[in-house]
Amino acid sequence: MTRTRDYARIGLWIALIISLVIWMLPLVFIIFTSLKSEQDVVGTPVFAFPLNPDFGNYAEAFENGNLLRVASNSLFIALIKVPIGLLISALAAFALARIRFRRNRVLLAVIAIGSMVPIQVAIAPLFQVISNAGLLNTSIGVILPYIGFGLPYQTFILYGFFRQIPEELDESARVDGASYARLFWQIILPLSGPALAALFILDFVATWNEYGMALVLLQTQDAWTVPLAIQGFQSQFTSSYGPVNAFTIMTMLPVLIVYLMFQRYFVSGAFAGSVKG
Amino acid sequence: MRIMRTVAALAAVGMVAAGLAACSTGDGSDSGRTTVTYWKLTDADPASQEAWAKTLAGFEKAHPDIELKVEERSTDAHKEALRTALGTSGAPDIYWSWAGPGIGGEYVKAGGSLDLEKYYDKYDWKSRFNDVSMSSVTQYGQYDGVPSGYSGVGVFYNKDLFAKAGITAPPTTYDELVADADKLVAAGITPIEFGGTVNWHLMRLLDNILMTECGSETFRSLIATDADWSKEPCVTEAYEQFHTWTQDYLTKGWASLGDAEANALFYQGEAAMVIEGNWFDTMLRGNDVDTSTIGVFMFPTGTGELYGDTSNNYISPTSKNPDAAAEVLDYLTSPEPQKINLDLVGTRPVNVDVEVDPATQDSLDQQWNPIFAEATGVYSFNDQSLTLAQVTEYWRIQNLVATNELDPAKAGAEFQKFLDQQ
Amino acid sequence: MTAAPPRRPLIARRRRRRSPFVTALPFLAPALLAYVVFVIFPMVESVRLSFFEWTGFIGTPQVFVGLKNYVKIFTQDPVFWTAFGNTVIWVVLSLIIPLTISLVLALALNRPLFGRNLFRSVFYIPGVLASIAVANMWRWIYNPNYGIGQSLGTAFGLPWLADIQWLGDKNIALYAVFVAFVWQTVGTNMVLFLAGLQAVQQEHVEAARLDGANAWQVFRNVTFPALRPTMVIVTVLTFIGSIKVFDLVVGMTGGGPAQQTQVLALWSYQQSFGNHQYGMGNAIATVLLVVTLLIVVPYLVWTARQEEK
Repeated sequence: MTRTRDYARIGLWIALIISLVIWMLPLVFIIFTSLKSEQDVVGTPVFAFPLNPDFGNYAEAFENGNLLRVASNSLFIALIKVPIGLLISALAAFALARIRFRRNRVLLAVIAIGSMVPIQVAIAPLFQVISNAGLLNTSIGVILPYIGFGLPYQTFILYGFFRQIPEELDESARVDGASYARLFWQIILPLSGPALAALFILDFVATWNEYGMALVLLQTQDAWTVPLAIQGFQSQFTSSYGPVNAFTIMTMLPVLIVYLMFQRYFVSGAFAGSVKG
Repeated sequence: MRIMRTVAALAAVGMVAAGLAACSTGDGSDSGRTTVTYWKLTDADPASQEAWAKTLAGFEKAHPDIELKVEERSTDAHKEALRTALGTSGAPDIYWSWAGPGIGGEYVKAGGSLDLEKYYDKYDWKSRFNDVSMSSVTQYGQYDGVPSGYSGVGVFYNKDLFAKAGITAPPTTYDELVADADKLVAAGITPIEFGGTVNWHLMRLLDNILMTECGSETFRSLIATDADWSKEPCVTEAYEQFHTWTQDYLTKGWASLGDAEANALFYQGEAAMVIEGNWFDTMLRGNDVDTSTIGVFMFPTGTGELYGDTSNNYISPTSKNPDAAAEVLDYLTSPEPQKINLDLVGTRPVNVDVEVDPATQDSLDQQWNPIFAEATGVYSFNDQSLTLAQVTEYWRIQNLVATNELDPAKAGAEFQKFLDQQ
Repeated sequence: MTAAPPRRPLIARRRRRRSPFVTALPFLAPALLAYVVFVIFPMVESVRLSFFEWTGFIGTPQVFVGLKNYVKIFTQDPVFWTAFGNTVIWVVLSLIIPLTISLVLALALNRPLFGRNLFRSVFYIPGVLASIAVANMWRWIYNPNYGIGQSLGTAFGLPWLADIQWLGDKNIALYAVFVAFVWQTVGTNMVLFLAGLQAVQQEHVEAARLDGANAWQVFRNVTFPALRPTMVIVTVLTFIGSIKVFDLVVGMTGGGPAQQTQVLALWSYQQSFGNHQYGMGNAIATVLLVVTLLIVVPYLVWTARQEEK
């Protein structure tokens, strides 16, 4: 029996390895292409290793795609939006979880619905709102809707999380005369470290990767975020296959680094989401 | 808790900074310089890039008080950006656009073009530009834009491939063109290439066949939607012919290719023909193609009219610096930059004082001279003449016929159905 | 435990008669403000605009046309039903294929295994990338002249493989794009399932094994029921993610060829911003909204009931 189980385990492991390789192939091909000169791209098959790597593709892509500018735009937007959005969501989740007021459930439902609706449903009027406010092509013009759309998911998760914090802690704090504000800052938030960290990371990545809203709200190339630059680069330099793929790789690097550094938060964030809320 | 407070405080500071950044986006006037934003198409080849760099340098010397900020985009991205930005605070001061009713005309109708009459008087532009260009500017009732260029579009062909297929002279009638295509197929050569993902590339073939089958008058009344697409027999004939071309003569895999990718096949000698405009000369040179091996002929529609368009640089009414913008346009159309473009790129000048000297042109550019000179009229691309929604549908039907998903006999009726609903 | 000091009710102590809602307001205000202005208002406005005709250019008038836009999209628009059908196909396929694959992977990885972290990362990483980046990656892979089909076809002498128009053939284009979607989402679903599998109690599994159950029976009778809550979460998240599909289609086909990979979110966008027909664009957006609500609201009601149990 042990023998069979061992063989089964090895078999499983091999099957997983094969799946792993297949899964990695698309990325590998892109990396190969990004390192090939133009003749190699058209002359060698896509899975051929680049024997004469052409790093110039990266320099060219960096320059033509204005990568420094768009990356700093994306970074700026993410660094502003994520902490503020998280704070606002936490405040709202706290109110919903701890302060017993009427229509609590209704509000929760309305907020929950917002997390499930595609942005394209609101995109045309949203464009008009931002345009009328004179905020097109500005970072804040994107940050504000991002906060609005990010709220439902975060509030919902934090609501579920806060509800799990035992109410006895509240009581002892209130006995000491604490206001709701102190309860929030000094009791609830510190205990929510893990959930907040996970949401922070997930939201950072989601903000960095957002395309649909940015597409409509950011027209001037100086204001572009990274996803817009990816598509813009592709449409401008369609047949420069090497640089196009080099550009894509470069835009993926920051997100990959964030993932590798904060892996556990992605997982725990997913777990927090799967907790019944 | 403290940490969170600090984060909040930092974020608040950040928001203030963002707010300030938002305020200062737009026309900054630092140290007295006025900023003028200009949106144009990407210069895809070295010669155009050099010409533009020289023009810009010349402008900066002549106008140190104006900072010209340029943004370049591909064709479709440029159109989309304009459609979204015009009329809003995000619109550029100057933008280049095709002038036809379907594109430039839409912008004008939507109030995206400033009437430049006073500048025409100030700079005496009326006597600077040729007739074609002036009529392009005044076609909507006011003075919209300053001429940027006009182009002619014809069939480029690879002389070597033609010779290999036994074709001794370019075709002068449509039937000869089809016969030549057959000869190319027989010699194992792909007759013609187009990119399918950019609908306007393949559209050129359909437009020209439509003109051939229908003749100038019916063509024009079809485009104006006065004639009935489901009733004119020439429409069905045109779609049938178009269908044959896409099934038998078109490069394989065209549907997944963009225009640049498809044209790469032409540069490499893997396709014998393509319908492109006189701007294509520079692109060929930029891709190291020996232009002595390339020829061009007018698509044999039998009407003597030239397929082409005009383009202008428009000023947006939301511009905060229209005077500076006008200065820019005055410079761009003055003899110096016009000559730079003529010499380096081969673009035909709009300024009547700058003449095309055949001695300075290469063999390919020279082939255009008689074409322009002998054209009896000009007809424009259909995506410039139809409305936006009509164009979307026109392209959809074009692609359905081309991918064998719609019977060409039904194409005209399908389009008319849409037109009736508008 | 020592006796707690007598508790005095908070309200009496503060001598306030404030309604709890007012107390909650400062906490709720920023969220509600952002939410109402940037989410609720545009959504409502979208529905309102669907009853008008407007080019979207400021200064041009909005003309009330009643239900005309809806009549147009349901009976006259040649593309609407294609977009609708594609969206439905997409959602249905998303609920079957990526879900199954990720479940299988989660089960396989739910044990001590050499290199387990590596496996998990490799499958998860595609989900971390921007959809538009994934779209451009796969667009290159599907390139008919230099991509995977052509490379494999010439290498193995299979001309039919080299000739496939992955993104240009209307019969396979949508599914080709879907493959990219699967590549992207399997990892995230897998991680969720892995988390859910932690909740499966080992004792039950052991007990079942001791009773002589084979792997399949263990799965059916112990694991699967314990996974129910996770399954629901994953299903809902997948539904939400799939009905919004936009980036992938824009990046890979633009809705083509001949508008045949069009989906509701993209067609709505193109009508508003491309054709400058805001009325029609918003009518399509409203249809998308209604469809989403029809699925989502019953789910919310159901979870609320679950909670009350």
